[in-house]
Amino acid sequence: MSALPNTILQSASVLVTGASGGIGQAIVAACIERGATVFAGGRNEEALSAMQETFGKALRPLVYDVTDELAVKDTFRQLQRQVSDGLAPPLFGLVNNAGVMLESPLSVTSMDKLKQQLNINFLAPYQHMQLASRLMSRLRRGSIVNIVSQVSEQGSKGMSAYAASKAALTGATKSLAKELAPVGIRVNAVAPGFIDTPLTEHYEEEARQKVLQRTVLQRAGTAKEVADAVLYLLSEQAGYTTGHVLPVDGHFCP
Amino acid sequence: MDTQQQLQQAFSDALGIPPEKVSDGLTYNTIPEWDSTAHMVLIAELENVFDVMLDTDDIIDMSSVAQAKLILQKYNVSFA
Repeated sequence: MSALPNTILQSASVLVTGASGGIGQAIVAACIERGATVFAGGRNEEALSAMQETFGKALRPLVYDVTDELAVKDTFRQLQRQVSDGLAPPLFGLVNNAGVMLESPLSVTSMDKLKQQLNINFLAPYQHMQLASRLMSRLRRGSIVNIVSQVSEQGSKGMSAYAASKAALTGATKSLAKELAPVGIRVNAVAPGFIDTPLTEHYEEEARQKVLQRTVLQRAGTAKEVADAVLYLLSEQAGYTTGHVLPVDGHFCP
Repeated sequence: MDTQQQLQQAFSDALGIPPEKVSDGLTYNTIPEWDSTAHMVLIAELENVFDVMLDTDDIIDMSSVAQAKLILQKYNVSFA
């Protein structure tokens, strides 16, 4: 996929939230490899600094908490200031990647935990789409990719809060694809299945095998495979695709 | 171009209407050109022209040209 031409990303910025996580780092690397400037959002300043050493000026770290409304607004101001000052190209892409996965049965899921899932996995991406779409609509072009989950598409025992929060994001994706099309913004989602990342490394071997047995391709996915799908949806190769949820799950059969 | 003219031009560009049709009394949803999509483009245009980032509450309140002036004044844009 990386051999495909892409002119849009070569003169564009992409904001990636949760940039220092497993999938986030892969998305950042894929975008930069394709020529984009990446605003890398995250809370882990040390990790973002290390990434900046690797990628140089192509990576512009933004240290903030995606659930802090004021911090998010301020971050977008910082981002736009860098664009206005000519330090980065205009914002073309947004990847709402930051997320947390709660595994907790209904009977023991506190309202606080539920709200936390909704805050991080849905409200924060929503605010990011609201602010990013305003910057993108200035140029009448943009591409938003939300990381959802096969858990929300298929359901999963003991993960109702997580599934609901990601399903909310899927709903917003499909609706905003329709709403933002007139201003040239595409909105899509990627739904990973079982991916080898720090988020899943706590799985015991038996639990891991159970999941893999229900996966047609009989293996876990990689962060790079998710990043390739994100890159495709961001890019002009997907110029006629919006409102789509692309599974990257080895054909998971619950 | 003074701020009044900049405002008029921004509305004209965003809504696709002649500048002379932009008056203080022009209100959201009263002409076909100022629909919800054009409103989004208008906000982007105003933010771009005046180099501001509007709060969502202000965007909700921006229901007319006169209202836009009042709101932009909160962001230190003055109109003669």
